[in-house]
Amino acid sequence: MDTLFNLFSGFRWQDGLDILLNTYIIFRLYVLFRGTRVFRGLLGIVVLWGAGQAALSLGLIVTNWAMQGVIAVAALILIIVFRNEISGVFQTRSYISFLWGIPKYQHHTPVDIIATGVSELARKKIGALIVLPLKQGLAGSVQGGVRMDACLSRKTLMSLFWPGSPLHDGAAVIQGKRIVTAGAILPLSKRKDLPTYFGTRHRAASGLAELTDALVIVVSEERGQITVFKELEIHHVKDAASLEALLKQHAGEEAADKGRLRQTLELAFVGMIAFVCITGLWARFSKGMETLAEHQIPVEFVNPDQKMEIISSSASSVNLVISGAKPLIKSLKPGQINLTLDLSQSVVGENKLTITRNNILLPPGLQLKQIEPAELSVTLDTLVEKELPVQPNWVGKLDDKLTMALAVPVPARVRVRGGGIALKQISTIFTEKIPLDAVNESGEISAALALDPAVFKWAESEEVKIQYQIIPRKK
Amino acid sequence: MDFIQLFHMLRRRLFCTVVCLLVLYGGSALAQSPRAVLETAVMCGGIENFKPVDPAVVFSISQGEVFCFTNFDPVPEKSEIFHKWYKRDKLIFTMKLTLTPPKWSSFSRVQIRTADKGPWRVEVRRKDGVLLKTLRFSMVD
Repeated sequence: MDTLFNLFSGFRWQDGLDILLNTYIIFRLYVLFRGTRVFRGLLGIVVLWGAGQAALSLGLIVTNWAMQGVIAVAALILIIVFRNEISGVFQTRSYISFLWGIPKYQHHTPVDIIATGVSELARKKIGALIVLPLKQGLAGSVQGGVRMDACLSRKTLMSLFWPGSPLHDGAAVIQGKRIVTAGAILPLSKRKDLPTYFGTRHRAASGLAELTDALVIVVSEERGQITVFKELEIHHVKDAASLEALLKQHAGEEAADKGRLRQTLELAFVGMIAFVCITGLWARFSKGMETLAEHQIPVEFVNPDQKMEIISSSASSVNLVISGAKPLIKSLKPGQINLTLDLSQSVVGENKLTITRNNILLPPGLQLKQIEPAELSVTLDTLVEKELPVQPNWVGKLDDKLTMALAVPVPARVRVRGGGIALKQISTIFTEKIPLDAVNESGEISAALALDPAVFKWAESEEVKIQYQIIPRKK
Repeated sequence: MDFIQLFHMLRRRLFCTVVCLLVLYGGSALAQSPRAVLETAVMCGGIENFKPVDPAVVFSISQGEVFCFTNFDPVPEKSEIFHKWYKRDKLIFTMKLTLTPPKWSSFSRVQIRTADKGPWRVEVRRKDGVLLKTLRFSMVD
């Protein structure tokens, strides 16, 4: 119980979103690929991956290495072998179906029209070959044919397979409510267990059913018999009702509540399994790999006395060593860590402040390992006012023939405000540099005061005038 | 008590108060030693015949040296004064000078180098630390 609590102690909303998002991705992949042979291949790869992980945990290094190789090869083989099936999944769907909804293939196919049409063909002993593709599509399996895109109706079927029709020998491909292709050539089956009375039409139907997930209907022109091929199964259909039931089953229209309930339960089970797996992966990633990281965090001083100023601090930032899961450490931004030091108990002068874990606010899931430095020296001072004499700061060179006999600042003294300790060391306020090179006669010049912001918080005046007297130099 | 009696009583009290004040002032005056009075204080480029030459507030480092000249008159008794030389607010050196009655002129000087450029001041202080004069000047190219 404690372990479970520790596991979720640092659970963030981002983790919840992460788990739900990936669970949904896995769930959608299942929905898209379920029932296909690609899905079975993917399951096989998952089993291999599990075996590899088990081998790794048992210390079977070579087996794990071999499993990784097999997985890589298997994935490649899966893509190559089932390329038609994979492309069929992507080609036969809208973009929205990737994200939402449970696809019901051939849902809108009017199976009753096909059933009655095929029954009539059988009654009149008109040979027919009808293909109803499912998820995999027919790409690469069907050759030739004429693109029709005709509306599906009983009369269309009759006229298409009428012995005099130029396309009656080939297969008609029906998708939804349309006959998309007619006169298509299907691959012949190489099965040896087919009944001897099956002709070329039956062998072609069997061949396509073996290669794809399409349902193929054959009407024998000799016996007037209806035969349905689905994968390796062969169904001899006696009447239109039986054919309609088969077609509905193929199209996912097992209208029976039992079928829908089963599908709902299946999808709920898969969703739950995906959730558990992704949560497990999250736990593995977020808790399994502890990482150390160093962060330079600025110190925030809080609750200072309003009459006091921070004059200096031995450090303005602190180096923190933090441990946690690698993804959390990698996604950590400096602004997410706060270091505050309370100055409410501090006094004027130097204060030694110890940094503890209580001063540091970390995001959930991270632990503090080290603080460097663990103590700061902060000097506080009260603001005082002082009147200081002003002195001009002359620079450059005065003409050798001249002498500056007098220089009087106006005003001669300026009131300033600053930290008491800092101001105690200062007895004069100097001007910024005043160049002498252009000075050749008595006059007045404006000069800004050199007010170091670290010392002076306020000054009565930021500029003074210097009245100076220039006289010829005595030899 | 009539008016004349009251007048005599107030006169006696006034006399006593004046006598007390005179005694206190005289004692205090006797307790303080006589002080030398600073008559002249000036920064200059040289000294000739105990007189300052080229008084100024800006000195070129090419001059080589700067003098702080002070003249005290009168000097009632032998005493000491100090010339404290500051570059900006940093004390560079202190010169102790002895004054001899009845009057005395004295000076201190610094050799100036390139590194000395900047604003300077000299504080003339008595032995007890009382500031008599501050002279401000600059050393330039």
